[in-house]
Amino acid sequence: MASLTAEALGARRVRRGLATVVVAALVLAGCAGPGTATTPTPSATSAASTGGGASAGPSASATATGPSCGTDPVELNAYFETGFELPFKLSEEFTKQYPNVTWKISQDQFTNLMTATPRLLSGDNPPDLIRLPSMVSLVKDGLLKNLDEYVTAFGWDKFPAAQLAQNRVGTDGTRGAGSLYAAGLNYSLTGVFYSKKLAQQIGMTAAPATVAEFEDLLKKAKDAGLVPIMAWNATASGGGLAFPLQNLMAAYGPTGPINDWIFQKQAATIDTPTNLTAAQHLQQWVQAGYFPKDVNAIEYTDANARFGTGEGVFMFNGDWQNAAYDKDQPQGVGFFVFPSAEAGGKVAAMSAPLTYGIAAKAKNADCAAFFLNWVATNAKAREIDVAVGGSNPGGPPDLPVPPAAAGSVTNETLSAGAQVSKDDGAMDFIANATGSIFAQGWTPELQKLVGGKQDAAGLLKAVQAQYEKELAR
Amino acid sequence: MTHARLARPGRLDRRRTAWLAAVRRRHVVGWLFVLPALLFYAAFVLQPLALTVQYSFYRWDGVGPATWVGLRNYAAVLSEPKLVETLFNAFRLVIFFSLIPVGLGLVTASVIQRVARGRLGTVSRTVLFLPQVIPLVAAGIIWGRLLSLPGLVNQTLAAVGLEDVTRAWLGDFDTALPAVGIIGIWVLLGFCTVLLLTGMTKIDSALYESARLDGAGWWPEFRAITVPSLRHEIAVCLTVTIIAALAAFDIVYVATGGGPGNATAVPGIQIYILAFLERQVGLASALAVVLVLLVLLVILPLQRISRGDD
Amino acid sequence: MQVGRGELIAGRTLLLALMAITVLPFISLLTTALHPSGSAPAGISWPADPQWGNFVEAFKVANMATLLGSSLWIVIAVVPVALLIATMAGFAIGLLRIPGARWLLLLFVFGLTLPFEGIITPLYFLARQIGILNTRLAIVLPLIGLFMPFGVFWMRAHFANLPNEITEAARVDGASTWDLFWRIHVPLARAPMASLGILMSIWAWNQFLLALVLVEDPTQRTMAGALGAFQGHYATDIPLLCAGTILILLPTLAVFVLFQRQVIAALLQGSVKG
Repeated sequence: MASLTAEALGARRVRRGLATVVVAALVLAGCAGPGTATTPTPSATSAASTGGGASAGPSASATATGPSCGTDPVELNAYFETGFELPFKLSEEFTKQYPNVTWKISQDQFTNLMTATPRLLSGDNPPDLIRLPSMVSLVKDGLLKNLDEYVTAFGWDKFPAAQLAQNRVGTDGTRGAGSLYAAGLNYSLTGVFYSKKLAQQIGMTAAPATVAEFEDLLKKAKDAGLVPIMAWNATASGGGLAFPLQNLMAAYGPTGPINDWIFQKQAATIDTPTNLTAAQHLQQWVQAGYFPKDVNAIEYTDANARFGTGEGVFMFNGDWQNAAYDKDQPQGVGFFVFPSAEAGGKVAAMSAPLTYGIAAKAKNADCAAFFLNWVATNAKAREIDVAVGGSNPGGPPDLPVPPAAAGSVTNETLSAGAQVSKDDGAMDFIANATGSIFAQGWTPELQKLVGGKQDAAGLLKAVQAQYEKELAR
Repeated sequence: MTHARLARPGRLDRRRTAWLAAVRRRHVVGWLFVLPALLFYAAFVLQPLALTVQYSFYRWDGVGPATWVGLRNYAAVLSEPKLVETLFNAFRLVIFFSLIPVGLGLVTASVIQRVARGRLGTVSRTVLFLPQVIPLVAAGIIWGRLLSLPGLVNQTLAAVGLEDVTRAWLGDFDTALPAVGIIGIWVLLGFCTVLLLTGMTKIDSALYESARLDGAGWWPEFRAITVPSLRHEIAVCLTVTIIAALAAFDIVYVATGGGPGNATAVPGIQIYILAFLERQVGLASALAVVLVLLVLLVILPLQRISRGDD
Repeated sequence: MQVGRGELIAGRTLLLALMAITVLPFISLLTTALHPSGSAPAGISWPADPQWGNFVEAFKVANMATLLGSSLWIVIAVVPVALLIATMAGFAIGLLRIPGARWLLLLFVFGLTLPFEGIITPLYFLARQIGILNTRLAIVLPLIGLFMPFGVFWMRAHFANLPNEITEAARVDGASTWDLFWRIHVPLARAPMASLGILMSIWAWNQFLLALVLVEDPTQRTMAGALGAFQGHYATDIPLLCAGTILILLPTLAVFVLFQRQVIAALLQGSVKG
């Protein structure tokens, strides 16, 4: 039902795969924080084609004879996702800097985009730039432009390799290596947001260091008559309970097998003993009433609105929501990465690029690629990325991450990203394993778990069965 | 209409030949009148229908090459629990979209007929009919709010002391389908009422008068005269509402998207998902063919009943 | 007709209750729409300070002017054509009684039972093939086809019930078939044609599935199709969503209230004669 569903904003950001390495390199490189140009990746120190560090601006385009938007009027045909400001703001800024480029922007809900992408790409007016909900099948059908020529032309090969890996697709249809088919506007991180006021009320003084500590907090919240976790699990938005579930999986087991499953490695299974432990914990949370009682009817947007009005101590979500949280509860929202099972254990988080691709038959592919390069390298674009998008902008490792506004939860998510990368804990989202695993697997099964029609073991078995059925097709 | 075929020109006098020619010409012209409608109908209804049947024998993702799979898609539609469930859900919706509106519509119409022949009747006709003219999507949105946990329905229940039964009606496994059904009742009750009322005005009032003389009350009269006399209208009502139930899409799409689990998944939703999300065009088409056949299977006997006493 | 006092009270109470249940959702929609934008009102409550400006705001943010234009475009492209060719076909089948009329009628009536979902998938691929996908034509052309079963059926019923004298008189005067149709019968059929036209307009306006599948850009869709997108976009702002919903409902409600008699008559007679 992802079409209907995959409003799954949450899911969506975490959508395209992160090879495990990715965030590690990414975060170390770009994310080390404003002002500290850390990463000593020798090859990346001066990305000539991008104009190098701070001076990335209009002049950059003049340096190379490579792909650009030229000087003649160009109208970029773009498909953005309804409800998210970032690409719109970036396009405005781009036109400011390159006035010959205008935009014909169509927008639709992610749900509709998801169903529409193959049709749009194969249609008569293929988009120059499009938000990609999924990739592999599109590549198989030859609908997406191979971006390899731009990698060399723009020097993207000097970006931390892991940053691009998740958007590479091999000839055998596996992700993680091969030709590049998309680029990220930025790189998001997920974890646990909390209301500072309510957290204080239940006596939380520091982020929980173990799952047990977190569960203790949940119990205290419940006892205090609060909703411990605000979440969404309605069909149109998709099963938001997959967020805590995957966090629990990574707390009780290694991330490797989870990523293998998502990348469709041979004989991978989600039905493992540690995942069962994770699912059992989630089931206990459900039974203990840690989620709102109408969670199966809560859409993503409703959940955020209710969290914003102070319903729910915690909420599993991603940094794309930072700006909205800052607006609803100024300085009132905190963030931590989900803890591991043991004190001092490694932490992990779902993390993924906000993926945009170019149609194979796009009329202005060069200009679109130039835009993608501009987003990663232009100082102003990177500022917008952080301020509006709330996420790490990625790009060349020697460019600093622009600081977020003081008091913004973005500062917390950016520094949490560093922690995740240190622990090598980046995962793709379990909802992205196959085209409809979210809609036909996770969402209905998680809803059944909430409704008492499914247990932890059955949940994993049912999803694995759906997974195998789809791969066998 | 068979003159043309019987005609043997050599034997007929000139006048008759001319007359026949005129008739034939008129027939040709007549067909020209039908042609535009027929062309549109053939191009955008009959042709796609034939294509649906054709697709249903293939495995096809809508982009790449298609593979012939014979009846395998049909086997899947009739055996995969997820797909069979949609057919069951469709029939459960018939209760709400069809049986209840028709039953309640009969009662309402007869009440209007008996106690509200004046302005109240006119006003109630109009008011009850209102939901029929708004987009079903809007009905879904409106009721989605009403049936939510903080919505009006629960507010009302809490106010009369039924706090315990409050819930997210569309998110609960046991109540989601009936809740969707209630939206259907709201939309279709007015249609049924007004249609049946129109039929009632045609019933010979002598029938009622003689019943009154025998001292019959509302119920005997309703059972012995009203319902039997309205056989045709009832059959029509059932036909229209059953099609609405089996082919439900808009309301379900907006209100639940088929969830929770597959509790409200109906064929229309599943066809949309299979064809445009999962890109299993063949399977979607097989389900579509099954749906079309089911509708015909249910509707055709009803037409018999309706024609039977004409 | 004599009715007891008890029955009178019980009956009228039932009617009033049903009317209340029918109307309450609309009232709830209105009161919610009047709450401050961004708030989350529950149930029915009249806001302390009704925000009539929400309608203006919704009109602006939802790009309502464009949407209205788009829907109107679709209605204007569909209804006159569909009306004319359905009337012509109804005339030929019901009045000229051309050979095969019975079969033709059956063929069209079959379409009345056909769920749109039964043909939506091929319609998508057909639209892509002839290059009208994502344009309003992708809604307009199939819609004309899909209106034919009811349209032909409805107009045939009118023509089949006309007394023969009119036609014969005209024939004697030497009128051609076209003259007969255009000069004599179309003016006589004004009433059923008007009803059919109104119905088709409402149906086009409310069409959701075709818009959802065949046109990606919400501003190129019908009102109902756009409403789906509007819901996704403004789901966070419930009062604004409700204000937008009302704006989208208003035209059909207005048409209904203005042309009640025709609408009801058309819907009912159309189906009864089925």
